[in-house]
Amino acid sequence: MCRLVQWSRRIACACLVALFVMCGLALHAQDDGFKPVPILTGSAAYFTRVTGGQFQNTPSVSPLLLMPFGDKWLLEAKGNYSDTFAKEAGDNYYGSTTAYGLGYAQVDYITKYVTVTGGRFITPFNIYGERFGPNWIRALQISPLCSPLTSGSALGGMLHGGFPAGSENVNLNYAVYFSTNNTHHLLATDRSTGGRLGFFLPRQRVEFGASFQQVLQLDRPHSSGAYLLWQPYRAPLSVRSEYVRSSGTKGSGYWIESAYRLSQISPLRRLELVGRGQQFFAAANLSAATIKKLGAFGKDTTQADLGLNYYFRSDVRASLSYGRQFVLGTNTNTNLWTVGMTYRFLMPLGPTGRSM
Amino acid sequence: MKMNRFVVAAFFAFALLLAVSAFAGTGSKDSPAPAVTATSGGSTQDEDMRLEGEKRFRANCGRCHMAPPKFAPRMVATIVRHMRVRANITDEDRRQILRYMAQ
Repeated sequence: MCRLVQWSRRIACACLVALFVMCGLALHAQDDGFKPVPILTGSAAYFTRVTGGQFQNTPSVSPLLLMPFGDKWLLEAKGNYSDTFAKEAGDNYYGSTTAYGLGYAQVDYITKYVTVTGGRFITPFNIYGERFGPNWIRALQISPLCSPLTSGSALGGMLHGGFPAGSENVNLNYAVYFSTNNTHHLLATDRSTGGRLGFFLPRQRVEFGASFQQVLQLDRPHSSGAYLLWQPYRAPLSVRSEYVRSSGTKGSGYWIESAYRLSQISPLRRLELVGRGQQFFAAANLSAATIKKLGAFGKDTTQADLGLNYYFRSDVRASLSYGRQFVLGTNTNTNLWTVGMTYRFLMPLGPTGRSM
Repeated sequence: MKMNRFVVAAFFAFALLLAVSAFAGTGSKDSPAPAVTATSGGSTQDEDMRLEGEKRFRANCGRCHMAPPKFAPRMVATIVRHMRVRANITDEDRRQILRYMAQ
């Protein structure tokens, strides 16, 4: 037992030294005349959610470490920690549930047309998981109903990138991956593969694309999806949408969201109005046992959300939203309230030279 | 006791690395690229580059989140490299956005 403790201490110290050495090496990376510096960034948030009269208070923090090496390497690691304080019906005290984990930890080798990624990374299916996961970015704190079908992390390798597709007005982006272990709670499998192909039209500020995912064992279920992003020039509006369809017992769904920044009205320029509509369709012919096992994914559900975001600064935001969820077949309608704040932090882990 | 010596040695090694890095950071490589420093001249070509960088910045970064404030150039270099991986932006977009944000 004593030897075990000694060994674990040695391993911990070795990891510490390795981190320090990497930190030192990272300070010598180079990028177009600038030496990128290691950064610790991420977000902290505090949200109160009321779901059908049940209160939940959730403080959380999600640090992200970025360590560039040389001209082409980047090490990224993101962790999550949250405490949820909730009061059950009839109870007079709040119980707490702690959740923590590794969001991703990946090494990237970046070239002009392809980036090679290894480690644990966010599954490249549609765009919500990869781009709208951080709570300081997402316009509504409640995730879309179908996002757990498509978001998650993979352990393995990925090839991805973006480049002009023969014209300055069309950028193509792609991702293909192979995962030996998908820890997603619904698609918990050992092996899966998939990819995404997207097109971005910079002049029109439109991006659209399609995704595919195939599980390589058991019933070999697959998922396919499509997404759209649009930001018209004439108005400070963002429109986002995703569609996903899964074989087997996972069902299908879509969501469409718009965010309008009131930047044209001076006193309200820090305010953003958000709306989202979505539907989830459970797979047909599910047995009662399967429906119970799937929980929310065993029933057809329609939901509408409205939200307000107020930007004190670009990194501090207050959010309020109201949603109404209709679960078909059970005549269950639920009010969903969310109120809270997010703070995005960013600090260099080395000398930055002149500041702007 | 042996353990403590190891930890102290590790911290010394880290401090030494930081010191070396700090000295390296004050060298010529830390200065912005010549193309960027030249932009303060305000020529038409520089202004075109600035506008192109701003256009690409708004089209790419604004798709998902609010425009961040300007940071130190070395921080911008890391952030833009991260966004090249996260959002699959093209190499040319990365270059233009880096120049624009580091001005």
